Amino acid sequence: MTRTEFWQGNTACAEGALAAGCTFFGGYPITPSTEIAEHMAAKLPKKGGVFIQMEDEIASMASIIGASWTGARSMTATSGPGFSLMMENIGFAAMTETPCVVVNVQRGGPSTGQPTMGAQGDMMQCRFGSHGDYSVIALCPSSVQEMYELTAKAFNLADRYRVPVFLMADEIVGHMREKIIIPDSVEKIPRKELEKGVLPFKAGDDLIPGFATFGKGHHVHVTGLTHDERGYPCATNVNLHHNLVKRLVDKVENARHDLADFSVINPDAEEVFIAYGAPVRAVQQVLHDRPGQDIGFLQIRTVWPFPDFALARFKNARRFLVPELNFGQIAREIERHVNVPVLSIPKLGGDLHLPRELTAVLERGL
Amino acid sequence: MKLAIDEIRCKGCNLCTKVCPYKIFKEGKKPNRKGIIVPELDRPERCANCRLQKLYGRRLCGVCELTCPDQAIHWIEEEPYEPHKVAIEY
Amino acid sequence: MTFEDWFRKDRLPHIFCAGCGNGTIINCTLAAVDQMGWKKEETVFVSGIGCSSRAPGYIMTDSLHTTHGRALAFATGVKMANKNLHVVVFTGDGDLAAIGGNHFIHACRRNIDLTVVCMNNQIYGMTGGQGSPTTPLKCLSTTTPYGCAEPPFDLCELAIAAGANYVSRWTSYHVKELEKAVLAGLQTPGFSFIEAMTQCPTAFGRRNKFRQVIDHVEYLKAHSLLKAKRDRLFEEGKEIPPDMFVVGELMRRNRPAMGVLP
Repeated sequence: MTRTEFWQGNTACAEGALAAGCTFFGGYPITPSTEIAEHMAAKLPKKGGVFIQMEDEIASMASIIGASWTGARSMTATSGPGFSLMMENIGFAAMTETPCVVVNVQRGGPSTGQPTMGAQGDMMQCRFGSHGDYSVIALCPSSVQEMYELTAKAFNLADRYRVPVFLMADEIVGHMREKIIIPDSVEKIPRKELEKGVLPFKAGDDLIPGFATFGKGHHVHVTGLTHDERGYPCATNVNLHHNLVKRLVDKVENARHDLADFSVINPDAEEVFIAYGAPVRAVQQVLHDRPGQDIGFLQIRTVWPFPDFALARFKNARRFLVPELNFGQIAREIERHVNVPVLSIPKLGGDLHLPRELTAVLERGL
Repeated sequence: MKLAIDEIRCKGCNLCTKVCPYKIFKEGKKPNRKGIIVPELDRPERCANCRLQKLYGRRLCGVCELTCPDQAIHWIEEEPYEPHKVAIEY
Repeated sequence: MTFEDWFRKDRLPHIFCAGCGNGTIINCTLAAVDQMGWKKEETVFVSGIGCSSRAPGYIMTDSLHTTHGRALAFATGVKMANKNLHVVVFTGDGDLAAIGGNHFIHACRRNIDLTVVCMNNQIYGMTGGQGSPTTPLKCLSTTTPYGCAEPPFDLCELAIAAGANYVSRWTSYHVKELEKAVLAGLQTPGFSFIEAMTQCPTAFGRRNKFRQVIDHVEYLKAHSLLKAKRDRLFEEGKEIPPDMFVVGELMRRNRPAMGVLP
């Protein structure tokens, strides 16, 4: 029996995590993500899970990685400044292939910026923020319903691909109250446990090794140093490092077709909007105001790895318009993949694009 | 039981020469194949643990084994059994 | 079973320099863990970055070698998510007191059921001998070439003030005492902190007139002041020599602890 609720985005995120079987939340209060921690603090202990408020975001990220190695589905929630602090351990999670979910309810930056206003300025940081080469998965919800669904999905992706998965929400979606339909249950794909007798970091064809949960007698050594298939550090072997990092990147990048989550409207249009997160809502209003086939729209939910093949669906596109709450972070990524002009429509300050602003850009023409 | 120094693990720090109450370990003279001067054993049959571990059923003293930072000192079973001459000092 | 059986024998000999006391402290810790009768699959060793933190890589259990200073935060996650696991943390003075200072005091405050063994060599050994928060005054290091001008941390006092349940300090010379202290720490519910002063012949001794490994060990032995003697000196109103450090069991109490199985 599905039920209908009127929830805030952050509440939906926390409920989505609970529905997906999250049993560990390590967090630190930060506007505008605090409601997620508050909701988890109230609900997790009653479900037998653990909520712990750590001393800072560095420790929050560390604690969820530690918890993840005991087999728990773990998550944290933060915003810009806290996200910057987490970068070190996000790299550790990528290197050690630890599944975990990080919710970033983005706010205006840089630095303390606008704690109570929305932005999308961390889109590149979540992909490239930690040092070295690695690949991650980032999901962008644009409504309270998607907050719920994508959070639940993030846990499955983290366990499937053994990477940190980011839910890159923003303050607008996080604090928005909306109707949401709660399903009976969400799909839960359990983590693939390491088989006995297999080396803990030996990957098969899918490039993803089985997970050697602590306490199951695998005697695994987990290290952020470059390690061989046994997990033993070997930091000076050139080929070993190359192959390890290549596998870390390839296991996500090769799966971009499986991971892709986007929707296409009017694929034959010449003018095409591309949006993710809160600006989707402004574009939806434009489409609503101008019914017909003349405006195409691509909503991206899985921003990283970037679904470049989705752009090819717009065969007649003469121009891509990308409204974002930043100075064109993803517009630049789109530019790499297409031969037609890409027009970034940035808006900073915390307000969403007004539909008439987008219409004005549309009417200005090429 | 008898004392043995694992030459592969020993790094020649000579800490064992200072901690043994019987002064069983003494500084070596010749470097081994790795260029490490491994300590020598001086009348190891005097070691209390070698003599009495079987009798007491537990590890005695064992300071050299605990102290050795390179886990190079062990007691090994003697096979076949070799009787020792223990000089009793009055 | 002896502590030898806890090593990953295929990885020995380890990377520590000749004469480094870290190996001794690993021996003592494992001997204590062995006496607890824990199974290997229910014991987890966690560490940060540094010389000391390479230790879990040589131990045949699940082990987590994490980022610099964050070992306690990772260990908190492991322990809270699965309270059946016994978690032992190896850390160093730079790892624990400098970059991980905040995690340290908060782990003490939470009194989470961990045992922390700090190998205090008073220097950053792995990076080549830079001054650390525990480098004594006037000691030479590559970043204090004119003698350390900053007063050092007393890690045990810090742990006591922050609320740890069990605190003791020994040196790499006092192997039996250290083993007993770690054992007591493992048995105590709540946060147990054991500081093991150790020699670093390569980075510390070389620059501070300890030409031989044993010179430094002798120094540690001669400058450790038993807690009972410290108390006696205190009662008699005599001065406690400034260059000596107190060894012994400094705190044992029963504050409410986290992560203990009911």
